[in-house]
Amino acid sequence: MSSCQDFRDDFELYALGLLDAEEKAEIDAHLRTDCATCDAALKRALALNAMVMSMAPDVVPPSRVKWRVLSGVGVHRMSWGWLAAMAAACMLVVALWFSVQERSRAAELAQARHTLIQVSGQRDRLMQALSFLDDPSTLPVSFGKGKPLPPHGNVFVHSKLGVLLIASNLPPAAAGKVYEMWVIPKGGAPRPAGLFQSEAGGTAMHILSGPVDAATLGAIAVTLEPEAGSAAPTTTPIIVAPVAGL
Amino acid sequence: MLWKLLPVGLTYALLQVTLRFKDDSDLAKRLKDRDPRAMTDLYERYGRLAYSLIYRVVRNAGAAEDLVQETFLRVWNRVQSFDQTKGALGPWVLTVARNRAIDYLRSVDGKMSAGTLELDRLETPVMFSNFDDQALSMDRARVLKTAFEKLTPTQRQVIELAYFEGFRKPRWRSG
Repeated sequence: MSSCQDFRDDFELYALGLLDAEEKAEIDAHLRTDCATCDAALKRALALNAMVMSMAPDVVPPSRVKWRVLSGVGVHRMSWGWLAAMAAACMLVVALWFSVQERSRAAELAQARHTLIQVSGQRDRLMQALSFLDDPSTLPVSFGKGKPLPPHGNVFVHSKLGVLLIASNLPPAAAGKVYEMWVIPKGGAPRPAGLFQSEAGGTAMHILSGPVDAATLGAIAVTLEPEAGSAAPTTTPIIVAPVAGL
Repeated sequence: MLWKLLPVGLTYALLQVTLRFKDDSDLAKRLKDRDPRAMTDLYERYGRLAYSLIYRVVRNAGAAEDLVQETFLRVWNRVQSFDQTKGALGPWVLTVARNRAIDYLRSVDGKMSAGTLELDRLETPVMFSNFDDQALSMDRARVLKTAFEKLTPTQRQVIELAYFEGFRKPRWRSG
């Protein structure tokens, strides 16, 4: 029967799986007797083997090996969470940026549309005014000449086109106020002829479209009225252009 | 030759390994508790050693990657039987790594069935339980260093064949 002493030099080989079957079987049988001495010797052999194994030439594994190991046991790469969060944050920023850009472009588009409408309206009004001025049947009347205070300008009356008012030195109406033009027949009450504002430079142009009867027309007047306009003048006229007798 | 394989001074390497092997009880407990960070820490501690050892044996980077993954998966699956207070986690991991690599070599040579069960039995967690401090002491590391320094080149080659290539006696046994 073998003794502990017989196995003393074999535990490293045993632990490495390098003994032949007969020697291995002897050690297995002995270890099953719970021999404390040989059990301790086996542990020392395992430790020694590990120390020798740790002397293998140092090779740095590719970083993917770590993630293969972790994913193999169901531990997912921590940075995936960060990447997902970063991706979500980036997408949010991009979405916000596009949203802001979209809003900005929508506002610019609305502004451009508004400007286009204004320019188009102004062009139409200018074309309309030119049609007054080009027509030899238009009757011009000046107002404000010789007056110490502005405003001054001209009224053009055309029996078919209507009345064109061009004024200068007409200050912009105060907040909540608007200028209102009146057509005053000879011996009759003033009739509303439209609301308008003057430009920042004090110029104003207003057109009453439609036929007018110059023969019965007494005067064209302008008053300052509430923003919604009035059915009859509520203030002293700022402009009065007598057109009777044209 | 084994002495040529050392990346740093032998004494330093052995002391480092000894200290590392002796401080694993908390890590082992966290592995048994299935703490997700524990596997990361285990790899940080032994992944490079295991890869180096396996690569030394199989000399094939792709196979080494597969075998490192298999090594850690095997440790993860069997750690519940590990003695966290007096077990030796590092020696266990390296033994599993070495055995997986040797098993791979034998399978390539067509000797898989004979060695697989044997190596499997020699790497059970129970084998690495009840380690006393002396087994992993610095004194033993110093003794090991002294012993290696006295080896002849032929003896070192024999040890290399045994540990890293799995050659059986009588080809390598010094007797």
